[in-house]
Amino acid sequence: MTDFIQNCIDGVMIGSGYALLAIGFTIIFGVLRRVNLSYGPSIMLGAFVGTLLYVQFQAHAVVVAMATVVGAVLAGMYVERVCFWAIRRGAAVASMVSSFAIWMQLEELAIVMLPERTYPFPPLTETAPIEIGPFFLRSEHLTMFVVAVVLVAVVHTVLYRTRFGLSVRAVSENLLAARFMGINVDAVMFWAFALVSAIGGVAGFLILATDQQVTPYFGLWATFKGLIAMMLGGMGSLPGAILGGLILGIVEVQSLWYLGNDYKDLSAYFLLFLVLIIRPGGILGHALSERERAAFRRV
Amino acid sequence: MDDYVVSILSNIGMISFLALSAYLLLLTGEISFGQQAFFAISAYLSGIATAMWGWPLWSGLLLGALAAAAAATVIGVLTLRLRGLYFSIATLAFAEMVRLLFVIFHYQVVIDGEPVGPDGAEGFRDIRWVFENNISVTEYMVIIYTVLVIVLTLFFLLERSRLGSIFRMLGEDTLLTEMQGLNVIRFKVLASGIAGFIAGIGGGFYAHFATYLEPQNFSVMLGVHALVYGLIGGLGTALGPLIGVGLDIGFLEAIRAIQGYRMIVFGGLVAVLLIFMPRGILDEERIHWFRLTWRRWRDAKR
Amino acid sequence: MLTVENIVTAYGMIQALRGVTLEARKGEITCLLGPNGAGKTTLMFTIAGLLKPQQGTVRLEGEDLSGVSAAKVVERGISLVPENRLMFPEMTVEENLMVGAFVRMKGKKADLAADKEAVYAHFPSLKERQSQLAGSLSGGEQQMVAIGRALMARPRILLMDEPSLGLAPLIVEEIFRIVEELNQAGVTIFLVEQNARMALRVAHHFYLLEQGRITFSGLPGELEEEEVFQRAYLGSRQE
Repeated sequence: MTDFIQNCIDGVMIGSGYALLAIGFTIIFGVLRRVNLSYGPSIMLGAFVGTLLYVQFQAHAVVVAMATVVGAVLAGMYVERVCFWAIRRGAAVASMVSSFAIWMQLEELAIVMLPERTYPFPPLTETAPIEIGPFFLRSEHLTMFVVAVVLVAVVHTVLYRTRFGLSVRAVSENLLAARFMGINVDAVMFWAFALVSAIGGVAGFLILATDQQVTPYFGLWATFKGLIAMMLGGMGSLPGAILGGLILGIVEVQSLWYLGNDYKDLSAYFLLFLVLIIRPGGILGHALSERERAAFRRV
Repeated sequence: MDDYVVSILSNIGMISFLALSAYLLLLTGEISFGQQAFFAISAYLSGIATAMWGWPLWSGLLLGALAAAAAATVIGVLTLRLRGLYFSIATLAFAEMVRLLFVIFHYQVVIDGEPVGPDGAEGFRDIRWVFENNISVTEYMVIIYTVLVIVLTLFFLLERSRLGSIFRMLGEDTLLTEMQGLNVIRFKVLASGIAGFIAGIGGGFYAHFATYLEPQNFSVMLGVHALVYGLIGGLGTALGPLIGVGLDIGFLEAIRAIQGYRMIVFGGLVAVLLIFMPRGILDEERIHWFRLTWRRWRDAKR
Repeated sequence: MLTVENIVTAYGMIQALRGVTLEARKGEITCLLGPNGAGKTTLMFTIAGLLKPQQGTVRLEGEDLSGVSAAKVVERGISLVPENRLMFPEMTVEENLMVGAFVRMKGKKADLAADKEAVYAHFPSLKERQSQLAGSLSGGEQQMVAIGRALMARPRILLMDEPSLGLAPLIVEEIFRIVEELNQAGVTIFLVEQNARMALRVAHHFYLLEQGRITFSGLPGELEEEEVFQRAYLGSRQE
């Protein structure tokens, strides 16, 4: 039982990183009504900039974090212009395919930039794990969790208490009406993308600093984690994204513990498949509006 | 013909099956990220049949393709309720499950004192039926293309058949199709099965060409590539996906100068292409225009 | 106040508007009637900056609005109550109104509370429902939200695209009563409608749009009612 609870604790901590990734996907899908397959890769590119600074200049973890975020945002802006803004009038499919093409570009770019298979990432903290009764809290996990919570609060504030957030929500709910209100939809999409890339950059840094290494396949990995988490929890809703991330984290840790490494990812995909077959709306089910459900169907 | 060129052409041929498989589902309006699972299932099963059970190539290929079709049909039924992105992610999840299952799949028999068979992440070696039976690489390539031409001919016939129209109708508007009295379920499942079979043919050929399989060959990258080939080549005709395959594996491979930058160039090319031709090169409109022009020219000559 | 001169707008090869000229005078209710497909919504979209005309100009109190983007058109003082109302369904009535004031939220704290109260004064039933999600309102209530929302931007002219569409007759009467009320309070209104009967009751001036051209301009009563109705719903008989 102790193990089970310990795994849940670890799972929630790790899952908080996944939740951040899922939030990124959710916001982009809400605002642009498109899927961005380059989300993970753009974060990865930012991480590569970070690791470059770390390896070449022994930069401090905070500097690496900032570089990761900046790199992710710049890569994200590139993706937004090429795949989404330029294909504004095309079908959603075209944007998705284009984002896949850019994913390949970014991945190879990273490999060309830094040809070794793996590069080091600075650790989050050096402190020992905290003991609470029979349970351990790894300090880097705790750091990740706390930062994630703060970030979610920031996103919520931006969305619900700022003019920009109001425009993001308006565009997500009714694009045409938002135009008629005087909202510059193109600008909203661009800056929403930048915001989401920044969140992704932070999430990426937290995850990589916990593992202390980065590879070019992090992009694919991050995209999948974000997508799975988003779909598990209830697609299109922010609480769903968070819940999905936490559940994914718990499922991974539990299956790693009880079934071994070979079954870790398998369990996650199996759970996702099951959820989709039985309850496509995700665990939080009807958090989606009819319009969003229609958008998912039409992609 | 130079061995290198033969191997490139063979590759194009085999991947074309996978691209056509994704294309068929695209016609019915579904974006599948997971056709590589059926490619893999057939590859492994046909390899097992010929290398471990002593079956001849044809039987092995057929078994593999049928198994792929069966699996695809099951998945087709399970995902019936799902549309759009839900469907796509479900196919992705399934394909990854298949890949991960092959990582833990061990099945070996001893042949001539050596263990032969799929060994999890270590892979499945020595699928050597083609070499043991003295079929040259060139002959094998001809076999692949012969089957490909047959499949293309079938697609050509499909386009002109009622079934083909029904498939495209499904892609346009499922509700409308239903209101015509057509059993949407039956056709969707049929499309899934056929697509699985086609992917399976490619997989069987691949197993015997490469002689060595490992689970990571059948990653999402493979599947999304297959999908993208159709989307950039255009969905107006079955030649569309082939153009996509040829563009990536053929044309770009040929340009040695960009060795190591192929993805960067291909990715950029695709992105730019989609800005000007969001529905691909040979999309329905363009094909329609071709047909009209050809018909006009033909009528003018009378 | 709003003058539209010789507007030609096309969708690809289809010319939706073939040289439309009209004027909405300050303080008046001006109506545009016409059958479906005549180009009424195309004209609204052109004025609102969503579509660029191939030729012609749109002027607001003398200012040329050619090439002005949709977002900026609102800032210049034109607010549109769109066809089918277009609610933000997951937002409350109150939030919908606030989005309406989006262009006024820049910079210093705008005094939006007063505008909100003014809207509630026109639409008391909305005040009761201010925390209700807009997606759950009835058609008539949504129309009121749409009008109130447009008013929050303090426009110089209010454009209304088919406000009676899809609403029950009693509600339609209510909406048009509100239109008159707003006009009496000083709001200039340019109204596009299919419901010729109601529109003519409130209009100071009206135009007929048929197949992309203005075929009549005048006061209500200048044309036989019957003829107006026929041309508004079916278009003129072809010779």
